[in-house]
Amino acid sequence: MLNKANENNNVPISGKASSSEKKRNLQFIPRLEVRQNSPEWLRLLIYAFSLLVGCVCAVLVMYCVGVNPTDLIQEISILLFSGTRTVGSVLAQTAPLIIAGLATAAAFRANFWNVGLEGQMIVGTIFASFIAIHDIGPASLRLFLMAFAAMLGGIIWIAPAGFLKLKLGINEVITTLLLNYVAFNLLLHLLFGAWKDPVSGFPHSAQFDLVERLPKIGWENLTYALPLAVSLVLLIWWILSFSRVGYLLSFVSSNPSMAKAVGVPVLGLSITAIIMSGAIGGLTGFAIASGLEFRMTRDFFSGFLFSGVLIAFLGRNHPIGVAVVALFMAMLVLLGQSLQVFYQVPFALIQLIQAIFIICVAASEFFLTYRMHWRN
Amino acid sequence: MLEINSVSKSFGGFQALDRTDFDVKIGEIHALLGENGAGKSTLMNVACGLYAPDSGTLKVNDKLIAFNGPQDAAAEGIGMVHQHFKLVASFSVLENIMLFFNPDFSYGKSKEIVASKAKTLAKDLGFFIDLESRAGDLSIADQQKVEILKVLIAGAKIIILDEPTAVLSEDEGANLMRLIRKLAIAGTAIILVTHKIREALDHCDRITVMRSGKKVHEVLPNNVDGASLTKLIVGENIISTTQYSNNKSDAPLIQFKGITVLDERGRNSLSRASFQVFSGEIYGIAGVGGNGQNELAAVIMGLKKPIEGNIEITGIGDVTLDTAIKRRRDGISSIPVDRYLHGLAGKQSVLENYSIAAAMRGELGSWLRFNKTLAKSKVKEAMIKFDVQGVNNINQRASLLSGGNAQKLVIAREFSGNPKIVLAHSPSRGLDVRAGAAVHDRLRAARNDGAAVILISEDLDEILLMSDRIGVLNRGQIFAEFDAPATRSDIGKAMVSHA
Repeated sequence: MLNKANENNNVPISGKASSSEKKRNLQFIPRLEVRQNSPEWLRLLIYAFSLLVGCVCAVLVMYCVGVNPTDLIQEISILLFSGTRTVGSVLAQTAPLIIAGLATAAAFRANFWNVGLEGQMIVGTIFASFIAIHDIGPASLRLFLMAFAAMLGGIIWIAPAGFLKLKLGINEVITTLLLNYVAFNLLLHLLFGAWKDPVSGFPHSAQFDLVERLPKIGWENLTYALPLAVSLVLLIWWILSFSRVGYLLSFVSSNPSMAKAVGVPVLGLSITAIIMSGAIGGLTGFAIASGLEFRMTRDFFSGFLFSGVLIAFLGRNHPIGVAVVALFMAMLVLLGQSLQVFYQVPFALIQLIQAIFIICVAASEFFLTYRMHWRN
Repeated sequence: MLEINSVSKSFGGFQALDRTDFDVKIGEIHALLGENGAGKSTLMNVACGLYAPDSGTLKVNDKLIAFNGPQDAAAEGIGMVHQHFKLVASFSVLENIMLFFNPDFSYGKSKEIVASKAKTLAKDLGFFIDLESRAGDLSIADQQKVEILKVLIAGAKIIILDEPTAVLSEDEGANLMRLIRKLAIAGTAIILVTHKIREALDHCDRITVMRSGKKVHEVLPNNVDGASLTKLIVGENIISTTQYSNNKSDAPLIQFKGITVLDERGRNSLSRASFQVFSGEIYGIAGVGGNGQNELAAVIMGLKKPIEGNIEITGIGDVTLDTAIKRRRDGISSIPVDRYLHGLAGKQSVLENYSIAAAMRGELGSWLRFNKTLAKSKVKEAMIKFDVQGVNNINQRASLLSGGNAQKLVIAREFSGNPKIVLAHSPSRGLDVRAGAAVHDRLRAARNDGAAVILISEDLDEILLMSDRIGVLNRGQIFAEFDAPATRSDIGKAMVSHA
């Protein structure tokens, strides 16, 4: 009605007559309004839609490098339906990704941007390997000791960053990130020095004994890393969604000053979440060293920092979301490997696709905050 | 000058504006009154281009206009000073103005133009603001002046002020009213959105009253008095009278002895403040803002530790250095001054915001299990008992509640543990008449049940209406104490005295 009046009277929208022409052409640009509220179904719809847009973009990118959508579908169906072997390897990949996502999400829940996952993995694995190499403790308890040592290592590596953040307000993105490099050099120091493989002389640790490896569960090649990951998901889910700790923790991230005012122990809860994140970070390393590679290698941690953040973000910091996205990521990694072999697609493209999904989901936030009005 | 004809606007199923008319002329101050949710803000957001109306027309200088955004409205000379200031704290005053108005492509040239314009304007209006100081360092009143400068420099001929005096002290408010009169005389049209009836009656040329999205009355201030205007706003009689305590105890419940507190810069914000509060009374703390009110509230709630002095609660003992959790276990609860910063977590649900106090007391399950079913039934009960409106679903975000209902939610939570001592800091700030009266009723009820109520407020009317005893906070000290009924002028004198 407004516009009709506008056109009939030929009144320029803006005060300046010269710009009226331009404005008229721009009328198909939507105008934005802040949403009064956004119900849950709308959230899910927008989230699903953004993932769909991500899929379409990914298929387009693949098409551009010469992989037909039909080939893509074929590869995916080979991965999923050609037998239990490929499904087994997807699940084996999934386990450490789940743990990595949980480690990151736990810290994010307390507004602590832990980007030091790789450092925590390295130190955790060094601690676990120390137990393994020196055969500490009885053989029957060796694995538990290793897991415990890995968690301790992760906590030791996140603790300084946590202390600096909570006590002095120093940005944890910087400290956790830089501690990754310290940990990496520590790892190289050990692998090129004291812990060099005595058998082959290569820069990786000696192979773990059988009792120091996560046992197989008896289906395909899967080890107990997967049940470990799943039970962690359930544990964290319980803590965050059903316990009083998780309930209070949600206030720590949504409004810390209000939480303090009603007496919530903000500091204690933040420390708990940070320690939890570090411990799970250490376990990620343990799950790879003891569950996949059976030794400490030079690059077992590589890429997990990014994947952890990605999985936590796409999973909305929810343990179940993390598990689902981790499964999806593992599929993407294996898909990437076979595309690399059969279609000469560079691995960077897989990372590009991951990035596309991040951008799509991040952009969807905009549609949750604003409503668009189309006028013509 | 500006004419709004038969404008409607709905959000989802909610009709915020229903064929509303409004206009303002050059040289006029036009007051827009109404309860929270009456549609005042929506109407003004339509006028300044933030919302597009569903139907109806806008005219500026008899010319039909459609705004595509606030920048179009600004081009037509409509400027809005929002209730929550939109200044960048780390930028200088000048930079903040330039963010809004940039007359030249070159940064240096633009800076010169704006600086000279700002200086002349500030001088004309009698402002004293250093253009180089950081916006975050300014007082609230000065920040508001910067907001007004911003819209004036951009060439605004119609200025909308959204509850400008809600955050100001009495003196500052009076100064602001003088200022807008000056602007009106100079040829600006002014729309004043307000809750304060006295302001509309004393300083405006015309008053429009809105109720549930409709314009219900347009009156001249000479033809109406405060009581009848209140009636027009709420559609019924709300009479607020003083009711004094009749069950005040003989011994004090809580005593503050020589409390000294430092602020962030190491200056004394409270210096040896001493007072005591009895159970069954409302102790009002009057004073001009910035005389230590915030620090006093923080000390009472255990969020700040005094460097000197003691706090004693009868039956518990010295509690000076106790934490916030301990304070709450001692039976103190608090209605904070900024309900969206310290009172509620806007992103969390009504259920979560209500239950947190009980959860902190160790109710609603254990550390391992948060009993949501029990919490749900409790919150539903409380929403009815405390008359919190607008809760369609207890899982909705707390930020969706209007100011009055958000405050009622805070009160419902804070009163859920039957507190012995209640701290209320400007509890009716920003609330409309009806919601403010409801809050006051709650405080009186708590007092009648035997609680000691500490009411900190910069609104002298509120202090006079509510308090059984009044302490005046002046430069960090309880400067004088009065028994109710006290006279306004005596308290006013003590508030600004420099003796």
